[in-house]
Amino acid sequence: MASATDSRYGQKESSDQNFDYMFKILIIGNSSVGKTSFLFRYADDSFTPAFVSTVGIDFKVKTIYRNDKRIKLQIWDTAGQERYRTITTAYYRGAMGFILMYDITNEESFNAVQDWSTQIKTYSWDNAQVLLVGNKCDMEDERVVSSEKGRQLAEHLGFEFFEASAKDNINVKQTFERLVDIICEKMSESLDTADPAVTGAKQGPQLTDQQAPPHQDCAC
Amino acid sequence: MACEFNLNFLKELEQEAVLEVLHRDQMVRKTEEERIRKLKLQLQQLRWKGARNVSHEYQERSCARCQKSLGLLMNRGAVCNGCSHRVCSECRVCLNPCLWKCTVCYAHGDVKVKAGEWFFEERAKKYPGEANILHFLTLGISHLQELGQSKSFNKSVENLFLSLTTHIKKISKSQNDMADRHLLTTGYGQNVERRKQRRSQSDTAINITSRVFILLYTVSNWNQVKPACSFCRGVETHTKILVLSSSLLHCEGSLYSLNSTCTDSGNFGKANITGEIEFAIRYIFKACVLEICIKGCKNLAYGEEKKKKCNPYVKVYLLPDKSPRSKWKTAVKKSTVDPEFNETLKYKIEYSQLESRQLQISVWHAGSLKYRVFLGEVVIPLAAWNFEENSMQLFSWYQLKPKLEKHEEDLIQYGGELLVSARLTVPAQCKNFQFEGMKCSKISNLAELSLFLGSCLTLPDQAEVKRKSPVLKKEACPQWKHLFVFDGVTPAQLQQSCLHLTVWDQSVFSSSDYFLGGAKLGATGKHCHLKTAQWSLSPLSSQRVNKGFGFNI
Repeated sequence: MASATDSRYGQKESSDQNFDYMFKILIIGNSSVGKTSFLFRYADDSFTPAFVSTVGIDFKVKTIYRNDKRIKLQIWDTAGQERYRTITTAYYRGAMGFILMYDITNEESFNAVQDWSTQIKTYSWDNAQVLLVGNKCDMEDERVVSSEKGRQLAEHLGFEFFEASAKDNINVKQTFERLVDIICEKMSESLDTADPAVTGAKQGPQLTDQQAPPHQDCAC
Repeated sequence: MACEFNLNFLKELEQEAVLEVLHRDQMVRKTEEERIRKLKLQLQQLRWKGARNVSHEYQERSCARCQKSLGLLMNRGAVCNGCSHRVCSECRVCLNPCLWKCTVCYAHGDVKVKAGEWFFEERAKKYPGEANILHFLTLGISHLQELGQSKSFNKSVENLFLSLTTHIKKISKSQNDMADRHLLTTGYGQNVERRKQRRSQSDTAINITSRVFILLYTVSNWNQVKPACSFCRGVETHTKILVLSSSLLHCEGSLYSLNSTCTDSGNFGKANITGEIEFAIRYIFKACVLEICIKGCKNLAYGEEKKKKCNPYVKVYLLPDKSPRSKWKTAVKKSTVDPEFNETLKYKIEYSQLESRQLQISVWHAGSLKYRVFLGEVVIPLAAWNFEENSMQLFSWYQLKPKLEKHEEDLIQYGGELLVSARLTVPAQCKNFQFEGMKCSKISNLAELSLFLGSCLTLPDQAEVKRKSPVLKKEACPQWKHLFVFDGVTPAQLQQSCLHLTVWDQSVFSSSDYFLGGAKLGATGKHCHLKTAQWSLSPLSSQRVNKGFGFNI
């Protein structure tokens, strides 16, 4: 429905239906670890060093082209502050992917990762995919959390791990793309097993994409 | 739950920021829903393509998709793993050298992926092994009751819906298979019409799945919108969800007909209308429940006159809502023209809503397969019903009547927005509560209608103050700029009052105006400043009408 408000937010964002999939992604982590910057870097390729605390929630929409598919990402940026927790957790449920972020120059934000992961387990759906990201890796001088520690924790929690910098644009795009890939993998996996009629048949090799060329003379 | 989504702790500016985000999210959702709707429509068309294209008589051995006849030796066709239909080699999509699906099954999977349903289904897998829907439903009900107050309520409702979906899918699958087996053995001769029906039957089943999904979507939408809703009353949204689910749960025995494709599209037989139906209607004010007790019928016409067959059942809608939520059916009684049902159904609905509703009670004959015969109906405009009068609550007999022509049948979905502002003026003596500057925008198909606004302020003591705006004719974007003034309302009263704003199409001939939609404003919080609010005008359903966006007045 088009209304006066539509133009305010830009036609492109809300009315573009030209995509194959839509994924909802949530960025979570302690306050001031750089979630908003990370999102702005990815969505707008912009960066402002000033810290503005996010009010409750916000999101951006970005359509990307990946694995021959146009994928619309609705990326939710959440407030890290405890006082907004009731609002942010409400958004865990529909999210297919999470970016759990900590600040490599802030020990506390790293220690909180375990709690955040519990939050995900509590509020989200089991098949949601999670990436652990250590942000601000450009600030090597002030680093207090080593890469190794981050990697170990990620392994322990069963997440994939990245170190990134929104400021210097390191690994930002890669993080999102990897998350999209993992969700895509999960998707084709579920498509493979979802159909009981198909599972009854022989389990072929993993489907990575549905666009297999039709073999017309296949008569098995 | 109510406190969980309470935004009152936020400062006003923060509230606005959050609401702005929610509004944007709603836009995105709408686009997404529209996209998914289109996808499903395409799939449906693909399904029907086969059946619709037959100009020649149906042949026993033909491809279920393209209707090309299959040979005995050459191009024999093969049975698809997904739907068990025999299809020719051209109507297959190979997934890998050993696995193929027919075009429809492939498209079905494709839609599932594109619509993101795979994600929801994974969730539903958490509840394996509950093959019995009834069991599951009862489980669901107790779940609902138990969890009514607990935090995980919303989640469990979602779970319930999701699992329902998977179960229904299972049913649809088995139906599919059944229909097909029949097809292969008896071949159904030349009755193409019948076959179409049958196929649409299995399609219906899948349809419901999507329906349920839409419902689910509404529910989850709700949760998301809830931060906004808590402006009005958090508790209320609770009951709404309960309503929504309970009406679904009512369908138990006849789940597969959640949306009556056959009976609603005029695809049914007609009999001479005779006989009467006995029922009673009452409204329980405390619980806000409308109760309809169907006792029985007498002297019904035979559904199939020649065979002297009649398996009657009663179907009820709370018009204008023709969605599955408003639908309710009794059990089917076999071989009788004087059935006794003795069933009671309940609609959870606000009293103020009733006057916009009509109770449609129709009697049908359930023939073999999906064949239905209309046996008569009674339509009762509830506006004229005096629920306070005891004598009106007694059982009485009503003459069954033929279907009203078109009039009620055309279900147009109206969507739109109302722009409203409200202020409370507190001069020394009289207290005015005013609404002004009403503007209605973007309601589809409004051009031919004569619109007016109704507003009803329900005070804490259940007293109602009603106001009507002037009628605007044939305007696509009507602007009333009308001021509703409610005198003598104190701020204290206002805190516990709510205001229903409804949009109506004034009918020229009949006495009942046509209800287009409405919104409800719960007035809590701060009152003494002017605020402009904008919210969606919901379509014709009761729940949606109540839902709206709650805003501070």
